[in-house]
Amino acid sequence: MTWTDEELVARSIGGDADSFNELVLRWERPIFALAYRTIGREEEARDVCQETFLRAFRALPGFRGQAKFSSWLYRIALNLCRDWVRRERRAPVVQAPEGVDLMELAAEAEPSESIEDLVARKDLSRAVERAMTLLPEEQRTAIVLKEYHGLTFQEIADLVGCPLSTVKTRLYQGLTVLRRELARQSAGPKGPALRI
Amino acid sequence: MTQIQCNLSRDREETLIAYLYNDIDPVIRGTFEEHLATCERCRSDLGALSRVRTQLAQWAPPEPGFVHAAAAGQSGAIRSSPAEHTPWWRDVPVWAQVAAALLFLGVSAGIANLEVRYDHNGLTVRTGWSRGSTAPPSDSVAQRAGAPGTPGTPGTPGTYVPWQSDLAALEQQLRAEMRAVPPAAVAVRPAANDSEILRRVRVLIGESERRQQNELALRVGETIAELNARRQAELRTIGRSLKETENKLGVEVMKQRASLNYLMNVSQRQ
Repeated sequence: MTWTDEELVARSIGGDADSFNELVLRWERPIFALAYRTIGREEEARDVCQETFLRAFRALPGFRGQAKFSSWLYRIALNLCRDWVRRERRAPVVQAPEGVDLMELAAEAEPSESIEDLVARKDLSRAVERAMTLLPEEQRTAIVLKEYHGLTFQEIADLVGCPLSTVKTRLYQGLTVLRRELARQSAGPKGPALRI
Repeated sequence: MTQIQCNLSRDREETLIAYLYNDIDPVIRGTFEEHLATCERCRSDLGALSRVRTQLAQWAPPEPGFVHAAAAGQSGAIRSSPAEHTPWWRDVPVWAQVAAALLFLGVSAGIANLEVRYDHNGLTVRTGWSRGSTAPPSDSVAQRAGAPGTPGTPGTPGTYVPWQSDLAALEQQLRAEMRAVPPAAVAVRPAANDSEILRRVRVLIGESERRQQNELALRVGETIAELNARRQAELRTIGRSLKETENKLGVEVMKQRASLNYLMNVSQRQ
């Protein structure tokens, strides 16, 4: 039987540790992805993810279900990301590798994907990652929550604490910057040569 | 390049985004679609933003890896702080830790030329450095057996082997101890403060370490017994081989002596 988040939360509050672990298993990947896309560092994203669940665990008895559990979790994670960015006083960092190793890439290829397609996909992924670092924190957060986590405009507005129209404006401005930057990158000089 | 004019209201950007993400009021959608049919600028913007979204879909974060202990199915295994990274050896399975410990034990025993003997005098552990000395039985390093055994050479067929019964008793005791640990004692429940969480995590770690130590002690005991038996068997084989060699050598010596006597006799006759 599959429990809903709210049922698992209720069981966790009642003392069932396995239910909380089920929540962790269910949400650790999205929370890690959110943290990674927001702060751009894998190790720190892992720490943020873990700290998110630890804080959620501590605060669980006070959770009254006024919001969805996932929204509550996102809020904790976003606050931690914001704290990290402000503490570090720097823009998100992209850890892009210097070259592309075809032997490593080959292992990641989809069965129907050629190596050329795979390289192109990886290049594009890095280009997007680089372009995202140029965005202000608010635009970046709005895009991450909308694009990768499928939140509604209202959910994002509630989460970040701003009007609905502001969320849409941030999305438009962020996507416009990305459009310009991705066009510039694809028109610019090619990256380092592939090595085998 | 001239900017294409768009007669949409000042909410153009918001409407465009709402339409792009299909999160738009149906009435506004109808109006906007009518507008799109006539506005090249909005069509162009919409197409470009859709392409950006397609590109964004290619950005995949790395695999989170072992973010949380719960992923391994360890109930309630929450770390008390992100700064407290689990030591690497905690991630190694118990059997691998035991194997590594045994390997270390074996290598150490080899280096120290360790001799382990268990006879009627009890368990005696001696290194190669003290082999020349004649240590009395009271110098035995480890414990003596509780049950008295009939004196004899361990491993000799038909004689009493004292460590077998003791080992079986030890195994029974350790298994009983391990069974006696109640599973409920290690369950972690949401706690009100850090100290409570910390205390429970420590209990978990303590229980885990005790189980591992018991398991390790059991395996070490079994391995020592096995090594001892193997050593005795090899000593017997070597003894037999030496005797056979001695016999062969004796026969050869006798032959040589007979040949020498014969030669002496022949030379004296001449």
